[in-house]
Amino acid sequence: MSKVVGIDLGTTNSLVAYVKDGVPHVIRDQQGDGLVPSIVSFADNGTIYVGREAQRRLLTDAQRTVYSVKRFMGKGRDDVQEEASHFPFRIGGDGGVLRIGAGDKEFTPPEISAFVLRELKHRAEAFFAAEGEFDNEVNRAVITVPAYFNDAQRTATRDAGRIAGLEVLRIINEPTAASLAYGLDKRHTGIIAVYDLGGGTFDISILRVEDGVFQVLATNGDTHLGGDDIDVLLMDRVLATTPATSPEHMQEIRKAVIQAKWDLSERDETEINVAQDSKVAQDSKVAQDSKVAQDFGPAYAWRITRAEFEALIQPIVDRTLAPCRQALADAGLLTSQIDEVVLVGGSTRMPLVRRRVEELFGKTPHSELNPDEVVALGAAVQADILITGNRDMLLLDVTPLSLGIETMGGITSKIIMRNSTIPATGSEMFTTAVDSQTAVDIHVLQGERELVVDNRSLARFKLRGIPPMPAGLPRVQVQFQIDANGILSVTASELRTEIEQTVEVKPSYGLTDEEVERMLMDSFENAEADFAARLLIEARNEAENVIHATEKSLRASDIDQIEKEELAAGEKKKIESVLAGLKMVLNSSDRETIQKWTQALNDTTRHLAEVMMNRSVKAALSGRNIDSM
Amino acid sequence: MTSSVPTLQVCRDCGGGAPVDVHFCPQCEKILSLSRHGDYFAFMGLPHRLNIEAAELERRFRALSRQFHPDFFYNATTAERRASLERSSYLNDAYRTLRDPVTRLQYILQIEGLAPQGPAEASRQAPPALLEEVFALNEELDEVRDARTAGAADDVWRGRLDRARQPIETKRVAHEAQLQELSARWDTLADRPAADAERRAVLQALGERFLERNYINNLLAGIERELTQ
Repeated sequence: MSKVVGIDLGTTNSLVAYVKDGVPHVIRDQQGDGLVPSIVSFADNGTIYVGREAQRRLLTDAQRTVYSVKRFMGKGRDDVQEEASHFPFRIGGDGGVLRIGAGDKEFTPPEISAFVLRELKHRAEAFFAAEGEFDNEVNRAVITVPAYFNDAQRTATRDAGRIAGLEVLRIINEPTAASLAYGLDKRHTGIIAVYDLGGGTFDISILRVEDGVFQVLATNGDTHLGGDDIDVLLMDRVLATTPATSPEHMQEIRKAVIQAKWDLSERDETEINVAQDSKVAQDSKVAQDSKVAQDFGPAYAWRITRAEFEALIQPIVDRTLAPCRQALADAGLLTSQIDEVVLVGGSTRMPLVRRRVEELFGKTPHSELNPDEVVALGAAVQADILITGNRDMLLLDVTPLSLGIETMGGITSKIIMRNSTIPATGSEMFTTAVDSQTAVDIHVLQGERELVVDNRSLARFKLRGIPPMPAGLPRVQVQFQIDANGILSVTASELRTEIEQTVEVKPSYGLTDEEVERMLMDSFENAEADFAARLLIEARNEAENVIHATEKSLRASDIDQIEKEELAAGEKKKIESVLAGLKMVLNSSDRETIQKWTQALNDTTRHLAEVMMNRSVKAALSGRNIDSM
Repeated sequence: MTSSVPTLQVCRDCGGGAPVDVHFCPQCEKILSLSRHGDYFAFMGLPHRLNIEAAELERRFRALSRQFHPDFFYNATTAERRASLERSSYLNDAYRTLRDPVTRLQYILQIEGLAPQGPAEASRQAPPALLEEVFALNEELDEVRDARTAGAADDVWRGRLDRARQPIETKRVAHEAQLQELSARWDTLADRPAADAERRAVLQALGERFLERNYINNLLAGIERELTQ
């Protein structure tokens, strides 16, 4: 039987987890790292990199490296006008689906996400193979989304799964998934608030847990609020005095401010150091001198205290409070009625966030589980429930936004209210305005506002095949069904004749089934490129091993003595320059060059390695410690 | 009980008959597709009462969710999965409607054949019993707005609004009490179809008080809006 997994497809990082003997585990790589950065990089030779590798390429090939794609899921070009300039990659498309350009190729956000999902699928398959599983194929998954994602964003996520060759068992909400993971060891009963502040999205969900039923009472949030906004804020401060000289330099700055943000969760003070544009430096020195970047002092340094940082970011953190209050009001609860508060998402590591949450709810929030991993663990639990039919636990979630249709005068008429438990249905009766009319146009919307223009357009469709009758006589009942994924489907029938109507839904910001199919086919062709990427990663790992060993030798306490007594003139210098050379090409995407330099370093250091080996053998034989020599 | 509801449904799997209020076929034990079904109360196994114990409603909701939820039919046949989706959706709609006393009353009025008017429609036309109050209030609101534009002190016009609110607030309290009393009477009559005339009268009164109460709440909300100006 093939395997099922739970996937947290995050703005910044993604994870995959599975359940073994009733206990969920995150699947890690050999270094023990469970996080796969949600970054995809398209090298000009056609190779596609995902994860850490792609993250490195932000500093060398920024314009072909795509990050934070979750922000663009289910969006149109116009939706992201304002922030488009913050990203090094091209953002295009006209109306409908947005497209992201990397080099000469263009991808939709679901396609980019599919690369990340495929990487997670491979990681899980490699893990199961290593575990000696007979059938290690992973083709079914539960994928999480922010609770406040609308229909278009959920559908885009499901499409991404399909393009990656996964059967998406269920789309579940991140805070709810987290509550499942928390509810595992403690059979608790009570009202729980899950506060989930991630890289790009914020959710608050209020749940009642009783008899193993995790029932969401209300949810609220902001799909455009997270750690990314803090990074942008800090970056703007740096850029005000130190303009970025290239897209890569911009990424250096971004990396530096992110590091500072992390530091300030641990320390009271840190320094944001931005080196000069290494690309510019590299170009000007033409690589004859190996000691490149070190010769340049930091171009920018900003000493920042935690107090200053918090004063700066407080407006962003405080934007999470209104959704919290709204969710409480919708659940009909006072803060004093909340029994427990759970923190989820990497951004909840910031002490200011913890303080604000504690002030709001009047209790110390839980953070026993790793906030980065808890969502994936919950997704794995839900996947296990679906496959095994285990009835110990049940998630009852809600739809975060009201569903409605456009009526006369551009007003939204609500059919399914927000915070309705899903699955949910709603229906509306339509009739015709002129004699013998056989079709009616329907515009479906999501949102809480009165006017159509203020809500999110989900789809437009035409009800066809209405039997010709005098105006006003047909009674067409349109049935809206929101399934357990929070995704809408529409059916219609004319009640007098009981004729089913055909409903062709054209999503306003989504892909059609045909497009998803075509992308799935395309993705098979990318399998080759994936293979190339894997080889590159292996080459780079090997290079890193050789670099590490060489540096260790050069740091040996007796290296000066060895050089004097045993090495040829200039031998150490040569080793140092080859070492510097390999370090320079390490981040390039040219596998052959990396391998060539690795080989060169191996060759150059062979004699030194032998010498050191001999000396340690001699030392051991004569019973003396090498360090004392 | 409404007499028009059929008492039997048919299992599409084994063709056997089943009482309309059960969810699983007594013969083959498969989940029944949602063809013929009772109203929200019957579906959840509750009497047609206006006073429902919240804990009992919640308990039934959880228990039935555990029986129908699509999570537990993932490996079942397409027909069963569809039936699970239908029953879960209907259960969720029932739960949402019955949980809130206002929508619960509205629903009873609707299934008993009394004007299924939504709060939106109801608020458009002033109920005859409230015409006097509405007239007086609108006049007062106009004057307050004029006073405010003319630069009247904050506490002056706020004081007027507060005074204008009091009689309406009193009406609201009275209506709540009447609604409660009528609800209690309905509950004793709910299962006695013999007392039809009395049932109709109570329902009629409930319907009127309900619309009036909605209207009163809208008036109060209007005053609130003025106060936040």
